[in-house]
Amino acid sequence: MARSGDTGDLLAAGLRPGAVRERSASEISEDATWVAAARDGDRAAFGRLYERYARMVHGVLLARVPVGEVDDLVQDVFMRALGRLSMLRETARFGAWLAAIARNMANDYHRRCVPEDPLGDDLSEHEIKSRTSGGDHEGATAALLDTIMSLPDAYRETLILRLVEGMTGPEIAARTGMTHGSVRVNLHRGMEQLRTKLNPDPSHNGPDEERP
Amino acid sequence: MDRGNKRAENGPTKSDDYLWDRSGEPDPEIQKLEELLGKFRHDWPVPVFPEIVRERRWRFFPWRMRLVPAVAAAATVAAILVVTFVVYGGKPAPTTVAGWDVSSVEGTPRIGRKPILGKEGTSRLGVGQMLETDSHSRASLQADEIGQIKVDPSTRLRLLDMGSGLKRIALDRGTIHTYIWGPPGQFVVDTPSAVTVDLGCAYSLHVEDSGAGMVRTSLGWVGFKLNGHESFIPAGAACATRPKVGPGTPYFEDASAEFRAALTRFDFEDSTSEQRAGDLAIVLAEARKRDALTLWHLLARVDEGKRVLVYDRLRPFAPPPASVTKEGILRLDRTMLDLWWNELGFDDISVWRHWERSWSGAGKPVREK
Repeated sequence: MARSGDTGDLLAAGLRPGAVRERSASEISEDATWVAAARDGDRAAFGRLYERYARMVHGVLLARVPVGEVDDLVQDVFMRALGRLSMLRETARFGAWLAAIARNMANDYHRRCVPEDPLGDDLSEHEIKSRTSGGDHEGATAALLDTIMSLPDAYRETLILRLVEGMTGPEIAARTGMTHGSVRVNLHRGMEQLRTKLNPDPSHNGPDEERP
Repeated sequence: MDRGNKRAENGPTKSDDYLWDRSGEPDPEIQKLEELLGKFRHDWPVPVFPEIVRERRWRFFPWRMRLVPAVAAAATVAAILVVTFVVYGGKPAPTTVAGWDVSSVEGTPRIGRKPILGKEGTSRLGVGQMLETDSHSRASLQADEIGQIKVDPSTRLRLLDMGSGLKRIALDRGTIHTYIWGPPGQFVVDTPSAVTVDLGCAYSLHVEDSGAGMVRTSLGWVGFKLNGHESFIPAGAACATRPKVGPGTPYFEDASAEFRAALTRFDFEDSTSEQRAGDLAIVLAEARKRDALTLWHLLARVDEGKRVLVYDRLRPFAPPPASVTKEGILRLDRTMLDLWWNELGFDDISVWRHWERSWSGAGKPVREK
């Protein structure tokens, strides 16, 4: 991959040979084995799938529903997946399938109840600044999460998987089924937008400067 | 935003490596964000899942063989009852109609003349039926084994096929956003000027009243096809289509304005050979490494005499594999073109070729009757 030149070179990550297929064969094979075992009634195998994918599901949900609802919904996602495991035709796409279930359950959540503070509403710079500078540490952290929530869907989800769940770019790609190129672009652009929202004033250099 | 702007101007920095996989020099700003946001991280242990009901599989055990005569007798009796019921005029038992579950997201979408009322309102779109949203309504379609379609206002679509292999809808006008988790190549959308084939992806598709269309892929990739004219659109790319012309050349949306304008003229304007040569020259001059996507498609779209220019521009961006020769590419050897495409790293073109073999008749839009 090119490491110099314009931003386009960074975005060209998707051009590397095999960039789309960089998930390890052993991981795909393990997934297939565990899915097959779970279909045959092996709960431990499904538990291993949970261990591998729970953070991804948690991040996908956290990007869409209020924090307090996420843990319960994670369990619901896995329960739904368990009930529909026999419908999964391509076991190698288990992660992408599970992510889709998580996104759908988040949609279902919003269909069931109208949130008081709908996600996706763009926070004004003034609002972000007052929320990140005014309260205690907890409040500032929550405001930071709110700021990420105000980013476009794709950037929001990928940034949460990276910054909250602690997954690396290659892990995000492997778990969600996205290409390395897409994840890299989402991380790069999402981080740029987040910096812009956190530091609207050019005289500030980082989010920590604003914190108490 | 001084730091952000510097990044944008100067390209990748060491902190991009840290952001990507925590390699390289740590970025204190990102570390701080990780520290603050880590408190929301998932840390629940594996829950106790309920007992999983095993899939029933036929095994050839002798005791099961002994049941065969009894089962056959029961089946015969059941068949006689069903035939009698049908012949003597009984109404058939209701069956589940193959289709998509439709829910209203906003306003009052309609299936045919039947409105779907309220946010909780749901209905089912069966084969042959039409879903229409007005300028104030939105709808959501879902089929468990296929995926989800969000329908924007002022859109009209029809469900054409819901077979076990091919799931097909027609988008007459408006905009849909699809997220497909079914197997690649099974979800097809007809537009008046091209057929889109899901190859494992999420994408948006817009069709104007004139029949012109635009697909934008956000995940995976999409095939766009009309009468042998085909385009592949990976995540981050877009492709326009026009009635009677078919799909244009796909491009990444962050390409320069000059690049995109010249490509549009090249694809769709009725221009002289000199003008086309001029537009091609702009595209080649403005192309970046990631625009190998566009250049690869142009190989088969430029005049024979200009093909070598495209080859020479594409080669340094994405060197072809050893088995691919310049001569082969210039004579548009299909196998060599496919091998080169696979080197671009978007996805394996064999998925598409398999689709073509399986659904050779599906590459033409089904017209409204």
